[in-house]
Amino acid sequence: MSTVRKFRAPNRLSMLVRANGGVTVKDALAAADAALEPLRAESLAVLDAALAEIEARFGRSAATNRAAGAFQDLYALALRIIDVSGFLPDSCVDQAAVSFCALVDNCAEAGTWRWDAVDVHINALRLLRTADLDPDQRRAVIEGLNKVSQRRIDEG
Amino acid sequence: MREPLQAAARINLDKVDVLLVDDSLPSLNLLAQVLLGFGVKNLTRAESAKAAQALLRERTFDLVISATNMAGVDGYELVKWQRRGALEANRYLPVILVSGHTPPSQVFKGRDAGANFTIAKPITPKIVLERILWAAKEDRQFIECDSYLGPDRRFKNDGPPAGVKGRRREDPPEALRPPGAAGGQAGLDLEKVKP
Repeated sequence: MSTVRKFRAPNRLSMLVRANGGVTVKDALAAADAALEPLRAESLAVLDAALAEIEARFGRSAATNRAAGAFQDLYALALRIIDVSGFLPDSCVDQAAVSFCALVDNCAEAGTWRWDAVDVHINALRLLRTADLDPDQRRAVIEGLNKVSQRRIDEG
Repeated sequence: MREPLQAAARINLDKVDVLLVDDSLPSLNLLAQVLLGFGVKNLTRAESAKAAQALLRERTFDLVISATNMAGVDGYELVKWQRRGALEANRYLPVILVSGHTPPSQVFKGRDAGANFTIAKPITPKIVLERILWAAKEDRQFIECDSYLGPDRRFKNDGPPAGVKGRRREDPPEALRPPGAAGGQAGLDLEKVKP
């Protein structure tokens, strides 16, 4: 049986955070929001570029050669969308990209692409990014995507 | 349950040395801006886990915030390494992981990495600040054994199940255990297994 040691580790962060001076939580959050704002346009451009690359490499237009694409490449592109999707709160784009990651991970595990499901995710991402949907419609899209991505290949 | 942010509470991150690790430049920039907004003055960025390892061998930090999904060495492996291979002063630092997606195959790896908290991307300033303050108020003991080194993975310790004396020195006598701490399904709480 292995030996287990329990101990209290020093936490310098704890002491520093409580030092005199500083700012209120409210002001810190407002300052962080303001600091993020200059990155908005750049981040949305990253998101749109990632979506365009997904469509170009893994969409229907690439049907003849998309099977040669690497699972990891599509997974990384979907992650890139998640990274910057905080600038689209309530759009559900982030949740669609998470579902896309789950789908690609399932495909990678099974070693087989599910192009119908990939196409559905690409279309949904485009829809959520560009269309004027109400919250219920967005939620319905995400519920549908989650059903698609969570379906495992061996379920038929 | 950990306490939520209090708008009027004061925080001071002026002198906190933060190491930020992410191989996604847009994500790294977003996190850096958030921390600068919080008043962090000493911010070091690493664009890979390898670069972070080099820094953690060289100089001391007060907090590490790392992405999980990175090419090559990922965030989980970085924390696991840090707990045993970094400078002595860096081994027990609070670590916050930031994850875009966790595949089911990585869940146990995440639990066993030794991080204090995990945040889901996309990041929001509120959640980042809340986790930093949770890390500052961390009261869990460190656990070291052959297979794990990091904060106790149980967020709550209600003691052993009802009717069981308990075999650990710190197990409270049954009379002092909180109500509802009885064993069985009712006593299960997902909070206990969060990394």
